[in-house]
Amino acid sequence: MTNGSAQLEAPTLDLIISLQQVLYKEARLMDQERYSEWVEMLAEDLHYFMPGIETRYRRDETDQIGDQTRMAYYNDNLDDLKKRLRRLETGTAWSEDPATRYTHLITNVEVELSDQEDHFRVYSNFLAYRNRNERDQDTLLGNREDLWRRKGSSFELVKRLIVLKQNILLSKNLNVYL
Amino acid sequence: MDTNLIKKTMGFNHLIDINEGWVDRRVFCEQDIYEQELYRIFARSWLFVAHESQIPNAGDFVTTSMGEDGVIVSRQKDGAVKVFLNSCPHRGNKVCFADAGNARRFTCNYHGWAFDSAGSLMGMHEEYCYDPGDIDKSTHGLKQVAHVDNYKGLIFANFDPDARSLEQWLGDFRWYLDILLDNEDGGTELIGGCIKSEINANWKLGVENFIGDAYHAGWTHDSGSRAMNNGEPFPPVDMENSFHASINGHGWEFGLEGMGDLVLLGRPKVIEYYNRIRPDMAKRLGEMRSKIFGSVASASIFPNISFLPGISTFRQWQPKGPWKFELKTWVIVNKAMPDDIKDEVTRGVMQTFGPGGAFEMDDGENWENCTTVNRGVVTRQEKLHYRCGINRKVDDHPVLPGLVYRGQYNDANQRNFYQHWVDMMEAPTANDIPYRWEPKFSGLETRDFAGLNDLKNGGK
Repeated sequence: MTNGSAQLEAPTLDLIISLQQVLYKEARLMDQERYSEWVEMLAEDLHYFMPGIETRYRRDETDQIGDQTRMAYYNDNLDDLKKRLRRLETGTAWSEDPATRYTHLITNVEVELSDQEDHFRVYSNFLAYRNRNERDQDTLLGNREDLWRRKGSSFELVKRLIVLKQNILLSKNLNVYL
Repeated sequence: MDTNLIKKTMGFNHLIDINEGWVDRRVFCEQDIYEQELYRIFARSWLFVAHESQIPNAGDFVTTSMGEDGVIVSRQKDGAVKVFLNSCPHRGNKVCFADAGNARRFTCNYHGWAFDSAGSLMGMHEEYCYDPGDIDKSTHGLKQVAHVDNYKGLIFANFDPDARSLEQWLGDFRWYLDILLDNEDGGTELIGGCIKSEINANWKLGVENFIGDAYHAGWTHDSGSRAMNNGEPFPPVDMENSFHASINGHGWEFGLEGMGDLVLLGRPKVIEYYNRIRPDMAKRLGEMRSKIFGSVASASIFPNISFLPGISTFRQWQPKGPWKFELKTWVIVNKAMPDDIKDEVTRGVMQTFGPGGAFEMDDGENWENCTTVNRGVVTRQEKLHYRCGINRKVDDHPVLPGLVYRGQYNDANQRNFYQHWVDMMEAPTANDIPYRWEPKFSGLETRDFAGLNDLKNGGK
């Protein structure tokens, strides 16, 4: 991949399985609200980004995904994300008690080598289901595009772009990470 | 509009008593009352439809709702703004499906009726099928909203041909609005895009929360405050030096410490920026308003706009039936701000008052449950308590206009919001809506007056 060839090599099966396992582990930690362990999987130079998507005509050239000055649900570095997570540790996040029940399904995993050594582009789809109290429930669906970096024997998340397939967030809040 | 639907009074006075300090819960849940809100409040109020900065160029448009009526807000070639129904006069279909964009025309998908950016009917598919006399194109454009006006960047529209002017509607509340809209040369703009979410609660719960409910913040948002401010609880409130002020159903609650809300945004660079411009702000708006800015504060414009000056969230609570509203959230910044400060503000707002924000997350849950409990027919007949601070009225405050109460932990603005709600629900016409505060700044530029005491010398 450093030989200047335009064609990137195919990832090995080992690499694909390793990164898949990382995504599944991440989903399991989120389902169990084990956020301090999840944070361990995030790089110091993390960019965690989920733009707000308006409904616009096809001819409209507004860059709703690439333009990071626009409104976004998340446009966080690691410190920003930690601040949000700190709320849960206070013991007074009333709307988190009783706890929300979460399930993250991660599918359609594709791994690509990138032009940076030890950095891997990983595409995936998610379905995050939430259920609260008696019959509060919602389902969030979308695509993710990640950049993972090899770190020791595992990987750390450097970049994540989340594209939620909703115009109006069809729920009262976003107490879930994707 | 069929005014008979309005003139037939149902009687709403019995639902609220602000002198006793209670509100009947049926205003939060009953379909009949909700339908009348659409006729009597939303179809007769000046409603925010766009910020100037969202539609800078000819052909730019946004779509929004006035009550439950969908409208298109469209910038004209001459710079004027027109607002018209997003519904074809032929069979009623929507003619625009985008949230925003730029368009020379809006064409109905059903039969190809095409309207220009002023809403006028230009022509239709296979126009030859109409014989002479079948249709007068000049009278079959998209229905125009009766009035459109602008206050310092905020564009408002009103369906009611008999409405009072926007200046009369806002009244002396303009003096407070200047703190948000006119604290620096160049005015304000909205950051691009809009985040929308859906909450299963009555729209008034959001409005009344922002209009005066500082009281909930220290409890509901203990977790958010600690998350954003290094483990510190919500800033202490000085009950002597903080106020509620209400005019025409609009309201602002505020401290005078100048810093509380800025700290909760969690962005040191933004604090530095405001500290830098604050001396100029004091010259521009007077000492009092420069101290209100950035303090623990929140505000609503009747009926359904709210914002936090300093935290810079700007939002609209769009009614979707008695049991549901759609929350539209923007970030409002000064145009003169450097880009990196705008970016800091935007990130800070979305970390605090976006749907995933440290504060916002705890609000929706409360409002939903305040609403859904009223499915119980016994529960909904129980009155709710709104007496907090009922005897703390400040008569003749030397600086502050409006109905002023001392101590920002107070239900005063909420009471006055519901008083205005009843006033509008009862009023046969717009001119029958009583003024509970006689305007003092009529015809004057409120920016130029440090306060009421300045009126006698004609301004700063």
